[in-house]
Amino acid sequence: MKIKKYILILIPIIFFSLPLWSLESDKINTNPEDFETSYNEDEIYDPLESMNRTILNFNNIADKIILEPVAKGYRKLPSPIQTSLGNFLNNLKMPLVVVNQLLQGQGGNAVETTGRFIINSTAGLLGLIDVAEKVGLEQKQEDFGQTLATWGVGDGFYIVLPIFGPSNLRDASGMILTSITDPINAYAVTEGEGWIVPVKTATNAVNDRSKIIDEVNALRDNSIDYYAAVRSSYYQNRNAAILNDNDSTSMPLPLISIEFE
Amino acid sequence: MKLIFKIIFFIFFTTSQLYADDASNWLKTEVDFILEAYRNSDISNEKRFSIIENTVNYNFAGTGIAKFVSGEAWKKADKETKEKYVKFFKKHLALNIASLMQGYANQEYSLINSKYDSKNKVSLIDMNIFTNSSSITITWRVKQSKERFYIIDLLVADISLVVTKRSEFNSMLKKVNNDLETLSELLHKQNEESYKLLTN
Repeated sequence: MKIKKYILILIPIIFFSLPLWSLESDKINTNPEDFETSYNEDEIYDPLESMNRTILNFNNIADKIILEPVAKGYRKLPSPIQTSLGNFLNNLKMPLVVVNQLLQGQGGNAVETTGRFIINSTAGLLGLIDVAEKVGLEQKQEDFGQTLATWGVGDGFYIVLPIFGPSNLRDASGMILTSITDPINAYAVTEGEGWIVPVKTATNAVNDRSKIIDEVNALRDNSIDYYAAVRSSYYQNRNAAILNDNDSTSMPLPLISIEFE
Repeated sequence: MKLIFKIIFFIFFTTSQLYADDASNWLKTEVDFILEAYRNSDISNEKRFSIIENTVNYNFAGTGIAKFVSGEAWKKADKETKEKYVKFFKKHLALNIASLMQGYANQEYSLINSKYDSKNKVSLIDMNIFTNSSSITITWRVKQSKERFYIIDLLVADISLVVTKRSEFNSMLKKVNNDLETLSELLHKQNEESYKLLTN
């Protein structure tokens, strides 16, 4: 009962504070003469940079000591186990994906994702096998951060969360909303099986990390400013997710001159 | 009139696709060459990097990318500083590519899609790298100049290497008052560290 009360108080606070913080990020200006082209990442609002850098250093150590070794071990598991576990975790996310697709007015996608969830939860043995993919129902991801962005809520300031990594005010609020509205989490808590929530979160983290071991290492080992590289990568990745754009021709093109090669 | 439009569209589409296919075939040869260097266990790590560095330097628009990522600092720098910076940047770029490709050495890949962006005169080639249970898409941006191709950027899961480098360099340049000379020194130090990690 108490949790419900907190949630009811928290949701309006998050929603009303977001536009105020977003206004701050809109004040950032770049001088057009500074760059030959302008990108979002040149304009990232990062008032907490020094604190964020400290948290990133901590996360980096935690990643090297715990997450990366576990993810490497996970990648050594037989391929069918990794695939099944990945499918299972993805399937658990589908109810909230449907909610976010509806909130973003993507009726067609919501129907498709519902179909995916039903098929994979039944014929796909509780989501372990991605049967829906085989019948042409493509997997799509949407979250509350993307929904808020679609509704016109700005990024707010950039923030590095302990353990969870790079985010911004809007996406972090989206993450909180995801956590408190997730039907699996709610069911686990009401059934007195609250341990499921951290286990599910940790397994998701390991599964996601195992997919980008090489990329993260390449970035970490070769950056003169790893913090700025992570920040830029985060924003590029999120912007592509918000735009739902799979067409690489529409991504911003750097103005590279090759006349003097 | 309709027929003329159809013919123009057909010629335009066919030419664009030919450009993209040419670039795609060329890219496959170069990627195979780099991956082969990793698969060849008879050569030392130093020799391996040397092969990759030469390939990257020859095929990437290194100077153009170096200029782009340095932003306004480029304008203020003298010729000598620019040359020194470009030299270090090209090594830095090679180390980034080598480090990334090292992880892909034992994985299967396939070029899945190629298209020509006629507005920007750039070919975009999508490559899928397969791991045990998933795949990741890399998009290569390739431009043609003087009868040959140059890679101007690559996107890993929608993240552009060049845009990320620009952001990273802008951040460093802010700390050193946009002095390209100081940035070059920092870049040189980072290159030495990255080289050690890659070759050990």
